[in-house]
Amino acid sequence: MANSRAVISCYDEPMWASIRRRKWELQHCDDCSRVRYPPSPTCPHCLSMAATWKPLAGGGRIISWVVYHKQYFDDYPPPYNVVAVQLDEGPLVITNLVGDEPEGSWLDHRVEIVYAPDVRGEPLPRVRLAGR
Amino acid sequence: MTTSGLKGVGAVIGVGESDYVADHARVRAGEKPHDSYGYAAIAFSRALKDAGISRDDIDGLIVGPTVAYERVGEILGINPTWGGQQDAMLAVIEACMAIKAGLATTVALVYGNDQRSAAVQYGGPEAMGGNLFLSYVYHAPWGFTSQGALYAMMFRRFSELTGCTERHLGEVAVAQRHAASLNPGALMRKPITLDDYMASPYICAPLHLFDYCLINDGGVALIVCEAEKAKRIAARTPVTIHGVGRYDLNCGATSLEPRLLDFYRPAQEACARQVFDMAGLGPQDMDAVQVYDSFSCHVPFALEGYGYCRSGDVGRFMAEEGISLAGKLPVNTGGGHLSHSYMQGWNHQVEAVRQVRGECGPRQVEGCRFVHYNSDVAGKAVSIIYGA
Repeated sequence: MANSRAVISCYDEPMWASIRRRKWELQHCDDCSRVRYPPSPTCPHCLSMAATWKPLAGGGRIISWVVYHKQYFDDYPPPYNVVAVQLDEGPLVITNLVGDEPEGSWLDHRVEIVYAPDVRGEPLPRVRLAGR
Repeated sequence: MTTSGLKGVGAVIGVGESDYVADHARVRAGEKPHDSYGYAAIAFSRALKDAGISRDDIDGLIVGPTVAYERVGEILGINPTWGGQQDAMLAVIEACMAIKAGLATTVALVYGNDQRSAAVQYGGPEAMGGNLFLSYVYHAPWGFTSQGALYAMMFRRFSELTGCTERHLGEVAVAQRHAASLNPGALMRKPITLDDYMASPYICAPLHLFDYCLINDGGVALIVCEAEKAKRIAARTPVTIHGVGRYDLNCGATSLEPRLLDFYRPAQEACARQVFDMAGLGPQDMDAVQVYDSFSCHVPFALEGYGYCRSGDVGRFMAEEGISLAGKLPVNTGGGHLSHSYMQGWNHQVEAVRQVRGECGPRQVEGCRFVHYNSDVAGKAVSIIYGA
């Protein structure tokens, strides 16, 4: 086994640099204004290659969640959760819910982005229930 | 678009598999019976024998993704007029395309995989398939890898929205284990109950151990022949390929949009129109269904997506109407990937052929005329209809 690590293409580099600044940025298309994730060379909607990196507002809602009971990485001993969050800007992202967990269904709970250190001590964007 | 397309172009005249049970026992005892090429060679020889033809009758070769095309041709002594590499379902379709185009008449489809003895990893730092599907590895910083976890995320939302519960999902593992108990070639033959299922440990909740496929070594081969020639040369009645379908969802794949927002439904609906229109048949004509089941939840997604039950009703359908050999719609009649053998869709093709031939013994679906195979690996929906 080994620690988790990010897949970083040349289009991902600016995003991870923004995360290290604790201000997660994604590409906004200069032509159709759509926000895309993961980072990529073109806007999949209009094929424009012109984009501007802008920080996320930080809000979203949970659309699904799982709890791991098997270990795949040294830095993720089970049990731990993973949530799928639809950002207010549109894209779906995968992250972890930290802090309080909802009672019953987690679906549609509002969350906000927080930065928690990963195994290397670098900030990693995670979410917590909004307003907690 | 309605098209006759590949209807009736090709027929399966031979099938072969390696000895899953004996080889699995040897692998678990620390032995290495064969590598992927050895399993492929065993399956190919058996398929030839089953077809009653000789190696020199083969003029097309399509190999599975786990072996190198040239090396398989070298080992089997085949210099074909058409060759390539595909997964199970696309290999069948490509064989029909090559036949229709006049590029080959008798195509061997050959697969071997030593994934168990080679300790292939499907999750974690070296997750298999990450070079082909970015979603398998992209979310690793948050601990999210393994295809099972991706399907767990998909099933959780589906469950929340439709009311298809974990216990409903358990019908899949229980039904397929029942089928496997009647299949001497299956690895997992001890029957289980819904209570056993609910008591089994979570791997990635909401999916339990019994929702996950096996990992084992083996090989599979099929011989697909031009339909008229098939009648002349085959040792037994050919099984006709009546229709095929395909629709791929690539947009939004890495962030899991087609998976989590649509449950791959648009791909399955488009694929269903194509395959059923081509065959001139509908879901009501199918006597059995084979579903690519790396995880159990492929089954409920497919039953709704291909129109075997109403949208949002699959939990009740599985529990009340039934998907076992005794139910209304027998699904994965050999035990599938969960309980028969994990041959990445290849053994499902063999089971479909054997059901249409009527040679499945105690697990035979009575009066089986048509079998629908479908898969939705990573949102790539593929269908094939086999029939008499």
